[in-house]
Amino acid sequence: MTGLRQLNDDLGTRTSELIERLHVSRGTGRMLVLLVVAFVFFAALRPNVFLSTLNLQNLALSAPEIGVLAIAMMLAMLTGGIDLSLVNIANLSAITMSTLYTTIHGSNPALAEQLVPVLVLAGLGVGLLGGAINAVLVAYVGITPILATLGTMQIYNGLAVVWTGGRTLYGSPATLTNLGQATVAGIPILFLVFILTAVLVALLINRTPIGLKIQLEGSNPMAAMYSGIRSRSVLTSTYLVTGLLGGLAGVLFIARNPSASADYGASYVLLVIVIAVLGGTNPTGGFATVLGVVLATLTLQIVASGFTALRLSAYQYAIAQGVILILVMIADQVTWRRRRQRRPRPAALAPHS
Amino acid sequence: MNDSSPQRFSIPNLRGPNNEGILALILLGLIIVMSLLNPVFFSVSTLFAIVRSSIVPLIFALGVLLVIISGGIDVSFAAIAIFAGYTTVAAFGSGAFGTGLVGAVLLALAIGAALGLINGVVIARFRLPTLIVTLGTQGIFKGALLTFVGSRFIADLPQAIAGLSTTNLMSVATASGRAYLHVMVIPAVLLCCAMAWMLHRTMFGRAIYAIGDDAEAARRAGFRVVRTQILLYVLVGMTAALGGLIYIIMGRSASPQNLVGTELDIIAAVVLGGASIFGGRGSVLGTILGVLLVQVIGNSLILAGVPSAWQRAAVGALLVIGVGVQAVSAKRRRRRQPSADGPDLTREAMTV
Repeated sequence: MTGLRQLNDDLGTRTSELIERLHVSRGTGRMLVLLVVAFVFFAALRPNVFLSTLNLQNLALSAPEIGVLAIAMMLAMLTGGIDLSLVNIANLSAITMSTLYTTIHGSNPALAEQLVPVLVLAGLGVGLLGGAINAVLVAYVGITPILATLGTMQIYNGLAVVWTGGRTLYGSPATLTNLGQATVAGIPILFLVFILTAVLVALLINRTPIGLKIQLEGSNPMAAMYSGIRSRSVLTSTYLVTGLLGGLAGVLFIARNPSASADYGASYVLLVIVIAVLGGTNPTGGFATVLGVVLATLTLQIVASGFTALRLSAYQYAIAQGVILILVMIADQVTWRRRRQRRPRPAALAPHS
Repeated sequence: MNDSSPQRFSIPNLRGPNNEGILALILLGLIIVMSLLNPVFFSVSTLFAIVRSSIVPLIFALGVLLVIISGGIDVSFAAIAIFAGYTTVAAFGSGAFGTGLVGAVLLALAIGAALGLINGVVIARFRLPTLIVTLGTQGIFKGALLTFVGSRFIADLPQAIAGLSTTNLMSVATASGRAYLHVMVIPAVLLCCAMAWMLHRTMFGRAIYAIGDDAEAARRAGFRVVRTQILLYVLVGMTAALGGLIYIIMGRSASPQNLVGTELDIIAAVVLGGASIFGGRGSVLGTILGVLLVQVIGNSLILAGVPSAWQRAAVGALLVIGVGVQAVSAKRRRRRQPSADGPDLTREAMTV
C-alpha cells in the first residue's frame, strides 16, 4: 500500500517536472520556429521590400513599446492575474511628460530640453503610481486583478480624456525624439532599451528571491502561502513593476512619436495579451518566459510588417493574428491531452471527459 | 447554486442575492439628488432619453451576463454584433434579399448563431480560456467583416428596416416639446423577460449556473457541459446580433468600424450589476440596474455641467468601489465564521 502511494507520488512529481520543463521550452522553441518561418516566408515573397533596411528598422522601432507592455502583461499573468490598465498607464505617463515639457518650454525653452531626465523620471513615476493603485486594490482590498484593472483602466483613461480634452498633445523634447530615431550600429536605441528591459525582467524572475516567489504564488497560491510567502507583498511588488513598465512604455511612445493622447494604442490591450499567451505564458499563472514573450513580439511584428509588404490590409492582419492565437492554443491543448492519454493514469486521478 | 435562486431569498432579504437592492437604492438616491439639484432632470424626456440610450447596451449586457454566469468572459460579442448587423444591411442593400423586416432579423440571427457556434466549439471542445479565445475570434470576425463584406459607411438603410428607425412607441407632450419613447424598447424588454425565465425556469438556465459554479461538479451531476456551453455561445451570438441590428436601426446608419472597442464598458456594467466574474452568480434584474446606473450617471454628469469625459472615470471608480466593498465584506464574513474553512483561517492568521 505504501509502495503504491510512493509510486503514485513519485510519478506525480516527475510528471509535473517534465511538463514544466516541456512547457517552458515549448513556448520559446515554438516561437523561435514561428519567428524563423514568418521571416523566411515574407523575405522570400517580397525580398526587396521586406528586407530593406528601412523596413527592418521600422520593425525594430515599433516592436519595443508593444514588447515592453507584453513583458509587463506576462508578469501580471505569472501571478495568475492580468493588467488591463497597462496601456492607459502608458498614455498617462506620455501625457504627463508632454504637458510638463510644454509648460516649462513656455517660460524657458533651454531649461525644458535640459530637464529631459527629470521628465523621463516623471513619466516613470506616473507609471509607478498607477501600478501602486492597482497593487492596493489587488493585494490589500482583495479585488480580482481582472476587475480591479478593468476599473482602473476606465479611471486612468477617463482622467487622460479629461486632462487632454480628448485632443492629441503635441510637444515633446527634441532630445527624446532624437534619441528615438538614433541608432547604434544600425540598431535603434529604443530596441536596445527593449532588450535591456527584457534582460532585467528575466533576471528579476529567474535570479532573485522575489522572482521565485512570484512564480510560486502564480503556480499554487495555497502552497505558496504554506511556504510562508506573503502574497500581499508579492502581489504589491508585481503590480508596482508592471506599472513601472507601463510608464516606460509611455516614455517609448513619446520618443517614437512626439505626441501624446488618451486613446493612443487602444488596440494594444488585447494585442499584448495575445503576445503574452503566444509566448508561452500560462494565463492562469505559474509559467512564463521573457524570451518567449520577446520572440512572440518580434514574430507578430514581422507578420504585421510582412502583411504591409504584401499590400495586405490591417484587417487581414487582424484575422491572421486571431487565427495564429487560436491554432497555437488548440495545438497546445491537443498535444497536452495526447501526452496524458499515452501515460498510464494514476488511479487517484479521475478521468476527465 | 443556492445563492443564485432569488425565489428563496428575495422576500426576507431586501439586499437581494446579488446586491440588487443596494444597487436599486444607489440608483434611486442618484435620481433624487439629481432631481433636487436640477429640476430639469426629473422629466419624462430625461426618462425616455435614458431608456433610449440603455436599449443597445442592455441587450449586449444580457448576452455578457450569460457568459459571465457560466464562468467565462466574452470580448467578441461586439464584433459579432457589428458583423451580423452590417452584413444584414449590406445584403439587403445589394438586393440579394427582399423578405422585409422578418427576413432581416432572421438573417442577422443566423449570422450571430454561426459566429457564436465558432466561439462555442473552440471553447467547449478544446477547453480553452474564454478570454483568450474570444480575443482571437474578435480579431478574426472584425477582420473578416472589413476584408470580405465591406468597409463602406452605409448611410441609407434598406426600406425594410429604415421605417423602424423613426418609429416611436409613444410620445408624451412635455413643457419643452414632445418626448418620444423609441419602439425598440419592446424587443429589449421581451428579451429581458425571456432571459430571466430561461435562467430560472429551464434546465438549460440552471445548467449555466451549475457550470459557472463548478464545471466538474456539474458534469458529475449529469449536466452535459460541452453541449450546454456550445448552445450558450450560440445564444450569446444571437443576442449580440440582435443588439447589433437594433444599434444600426437606431443609429440610422451602418459602419463596420463601430461597436468594437466598447466591450469592456458593457462587461463593467454587468459586473456592477452583481454578476460574479468567477461564474455561478448574476441576475437579469441586477444587469438591468447596472446598465441603467451607468446611463443615469452619464446623463447626470451632462446635466450637472460636468464634461462628459468624466463619465468613463466615474464608471471606473464606481466599479472599483462596488467590487471593493464586496471583496472586503467577503473577507470579514470569512473572519467571522472561522470554522467554516480551515485553510482560510490559517490564511487570515498568517496575513494579518
